[in-house]
Amino acid sequence: MSHDLSSISAAIYREARLLDQKSWKEWLLMYEEDAVYWAPGWLNEYDLVDDPDRQVSLIYHTNRGQLAERISRIQSRKSITALPLPRTVHVISNVHFLDEKQSPALVSASFVVHVFDPRTAREHCHFGHYEFLFSLSGESPTIASKKIILANDRIPTVVDFYSL
Amino acid sequence: MTSESAIGSLLIDRPQDGIFEVARRAFTDPEIFALEQKYIFEALWTFVGLETQIPRANDFLTTHIGSQPVLLTRKSDGSVGCFLNTCRHRGTIVCPFKHGRQKFHVCRYHGWAYDSDGRNTAVTEEADGQYPESFRDKNRDLIPVARLESYRGLIFASLSPSVPPLEEYLGQAAHFIDLIVDQSPVGQVEFVPGASSYTFDANWKLQFENGLDYYHFNSTHSSYVDILKNRAVSSNADLPREDSAERVGQGSFSFPHGHAVNWSIKQVSAYGRPLSNDQENLNRLTEQFGRDRVKWMLRQRNLTIFPSLQLIDISSSQLRTWRPLAPDKTEMTSHCIAPVGESAESRRMRIRGYEDFFNPSGLATSDDNVMYEYCQTGYVAEAGNTLGYLRGLGSDPVHDGPHANEVGITPDEYAFGAPTFGGETNFHAGYREWHRLLLNAGQKI
Ligand code: FES
Ligand SMILES: [Fe+2]
Repeated sequence: MSHDLSSISAAIYREARLLDQKSWKEWLLMYEEDAVYWAPGWLNEYDLVDDPDRQVSLIYHTNRGQLAERISRIQSRKSITALPLPRTVHVISNVHFLDEKQSPALVSASFVVHVFDPRTAREHCHFGHYEFLFSLSGESPTIASKKIILANDRIPTVVDFYSL
Repeated sequence: MTSESAIGSLLIDRPQDGIFEVARRAFTDPEIFALEQKYIFEALWTFVGLETQIPRANDFLTTHIGSQPVLLTRKSDGSVGCFLNTCRHRGTIVCPFKHGRQKFHVCRYHGWAYDSDGRNTAVTEEADGQYPESFRDKNRDLIPVARLESYRGLIFASLSPSVPPLEEYLGQAAHFIDLIVDQSPVGQVEFVPGASSYTFDANWKLQFENGLDYYHFNSTHSSYVDILKNRAVSSNADLPREDSAERVGQGSFSFPHGHAVNWSIKQVSAYGRPLSNDQENLNRLTEQFGRDRVKWMLRQRNLTIFPSLQLIDISSSQLRTWRPLAPDKTEMTSHCIAPVGESAESRRMRIRGYEDFFNPSGLATSDDNVMYEYCQTGYVAEAGNTLGYLRGLGSDPVHDGPHANEVGITPDEYAFGAPTFGGETNFHAGYREWHRLLLNAGQKI
């Protein structure tokens, strides 16, 4: 089955909506079992971490189970970061193929996540770029990998999968 | 204005009566914050970097001592230099980069140039400048910090000429730096590339306390504790154990100048450690340092060097520093610190463990950060001093015992209790030093 950019864009928007709605279960199912979820750190002003085994990332998961751990931590209602959970609004644009012919498809998008913390009435933004690898073999595109390049990496207090 | 008596009442220190209290305004008052910046952060030794961050001539990095920007360089003769990062001409930051390598640092405003030794090498178009006669004799070099010394590759600087020698300042707390550095086959530590920085909206002393606070772990981190339990069930790794004769528990040592270390003894680690994963290195270390030292290398240790450095050696290892930005805002810098020359597998494990636990993106530190903010907002309540520093005061302070002897130290205070002990007397050394410095400041203002 061939996928055009619009079906992939729809998948990216859907992921964002599921995060904002806190529909964690459905969100997780968009990822493949062995999906890579990676928010690399920065080495300096210009260069990103590019070798997760020799450099430190903000988040580096190599299967869905590790994302499920993060979800369980929130759902247990024991994590202080989630009591209450911040409200988030993902705004995504500039979706385009980085490589159309490649399979899985390599897709880039820009993001801004507005975060409002009802605990403090404080708001801030995380922004940057996503790089997705989408598998196109099934009925709808599934995420084989998501790389989150966070441009503003002096982080206020907490950052987690729902605010990236 | 902060009077001497106002400073005096910041700490009530009467352990013999079961009292140790820190005033809430210590966390909220802008005047106290200003005193701390000047008389603590800019008056003591500050960790500024590792030797391994600037190995070659002309390598540099920039950081801060208190609020003041500094430039750390590897000089042409191989020694380390540290200078106020401000142009002698009109004050511009001379080096705006985090780190790098360059022989000359040229100020962008009017082009004055400085070399890695801090020497001014050029005043742009000096001949045409119609400078007064006196200019020729003026020192135009970058201003060096008052004191600069290294211990085991950790570089410290001070803006005050009157600090004691670094080794004296660290005292026996240095043994716990050794326990990290000695894990390296070449006796060096390095930062794994990819440092991160973050802020929390709370006073810096919340971070200082938290690094000494074992009491909070099970409640603050209960969601993380659940995750660890699940992982322990699903993993059948053959983790090393303590000798079965060893009494489990947790303890602390306190030292002069406000330093302290927490440690714990567990029969079974709930999670593996990079060192325990490398049998070859373990054998070498046992041969070189003996069983007791290796035992302590494998134990969880949280070291606090007053006022702004913590070294954590647990399932991973972290060096973190903080910079107070306001009474209720603190900037943290966090590095994964690692022995140079460890195996690739140990390094990978160390990095995964670090990402798992630390930083605002980790599963444990993120909870701490939020907790600090809850404290900060709670401190605004005028509810009198807290009861926060009393655990462990009920027993006589212990001054000897197997633990201190094994490390080869004679700490000012030694506490040990059950795994749920959560002693708080290890906060006292830091608060006493903090108070002493503020009282001194009170006499100067
Ligand atoms: S301020 Fe640096 S050259 Fe003028
Ligand atoms: Fe903690």
